[in-house]
Amino acid sequence: MMRQMAGRYIPGDSVLHNIIPSAKLFSFILIIAAVIFTNTVVGYGAMVAFTVCVVLYSNTPIEGLIKSIAGMLPFFAVIFVMNSLFYSSDNPIWKFWFITLSKEGMIQGLNVVFRIAIIIIISGVLTQTTSTMGLMSGIETLIKPLKYIRVPVEEVAMILSVALQFIPTLIEESDKIKKAQIARGARFESEKLSERAMAMLPMIVPLFLSSFKRADELSMAMESRGYRGAKGRTPKARESLDRLSVMSIIACAALCALEVII
Amino acid sequence: MSEMTSVKKSIICAVCIALCYVIPLFFHGIQNAGSIFCPMHIPVFMCGLICGWSYGLLCGIAGPVISSALTGMPPIAYLPNMVTELVIYGLVAGLMMKLVHTKNTYLDLYISLVVAIVLGRIAAGIVRALIFTQGTYSMAMWVSGYVITSWPGTLIQFIFIPSIIMALMKGRLIPERYPKLQIEGRN
Repeated sequence: MMRQMAGRYIPGDSVLHNIIPSAKLFSFILIIAAVIFTNTVVGYGAMVAFTVCVVLYSNTPIEGLIKSIAGMLPFFAVIFVMNSLFYSSDNPIWKFWFITLSKEGMIQGLNVVFRIAIIIIISGVLTQTTSTMGLMSGIETLIKPLKYIRVPVEEVAMILSVALQFIPTLIEESDKIKKAQIARGARFESEKLSERAMAMLPMIVPLFLSSFKRADELSMAMESRGYRGAKGRTPKARESLDRLSVMSIIACAALCALEVII
Repeated sequence: MSEMTSVKKSIICAVCIALCYVIPLFFHGIQNAGSIFCPMHIPVFMCGLICGWSYGLLCGIAGPVISSALTGMPPIAYLPNMVTELVIYGLVAGLMMKLVHTKNTYLDLYISLVVAIVLGRIAAGIVRALIFTQGTYSMAMWVSGYVITSWPGTLIQFIFIPSIIMALMKGRLIPERYPKLQIEGRN
């Protein structure tokens, strides 16, 4: 199950590693907006070229990204087939009962697949080049304006940071529970989907109990060390917007504008 | 449950957000398991019921967003709709636990759970019909997606959530809703 955890942080000194996390997150939001606006062949070309540049500048192993896309191929196939066969069109290529194969449906299917694939690659690069703590400080900086509507920004950032740090621990825990269930005769590898699904259910209660035990221990440890909420806590290091970060935001904003115009 | 400190509530909320990522991982290999078994709903309900509406709301937003960013599931196209549904679940479950006091923990949990499930599904259907799939969404699609397809998930939620919460109370990992000493004292 550890292998499924895509986008694990890989320390490095690439251009993307050196962009400050808040700028990287803001650029990521701009890229998502650009992907949503893409609907022409030129737009697709620009988006692919931009994604290739991002991957090259990240200096991270391309195999991992290819694997994450390859793992999604059945899902992409289902999306494409569903759109091709069920998209309502006035000019169907072939029609039978409620099934309508159309050119518009196929284009729509390709559109959706393309958008999801680009977002998976870009989000993979983002998490591979940004540490968990970096992501959290980035989120904290970006959601700071919410303070004006009384959202406890520091508290939210602390919760998200703890949540991300809990993920590997809980995956390990679930792996142990899974092995214990296999020893008791659970059939996780059964060919029947219903049997496989039913085998997952006895894992839920022990996983919740052990997770809450860990939560109880952590909260007790934090309180005993004098933690009384994130308010007023000083950050480890203050981020300053450097030239590289500004350039990344400008590049992503330009791409977004280009996709809107064409 | 009122005895819990804000630090403990924050950490439980963080664990529930992490579980929103971990529990659906078990089901990724099974076709269409997400919409049948609704594995991500369980931690959000738990968070709302145990920690309150504000934490439930945060879990409903952050859980699917983090899972989508790290695994691509749910896909970005379904994310806004799913976030809306889960936000309502967390929010309503928390509010109902604050409002309903029948002196029976199981009854409080079931009432809160039923109201949250019904309102969450109705809200998700309305938002889908009015915003995300405007013009192409029908009542039949809502019944098929949110009632028929997901009935095993709803059944799992009814069986597991109150039982897990009661087990957590018995294990003293969360405070009891109606501590025995307090009731005896009143009598």
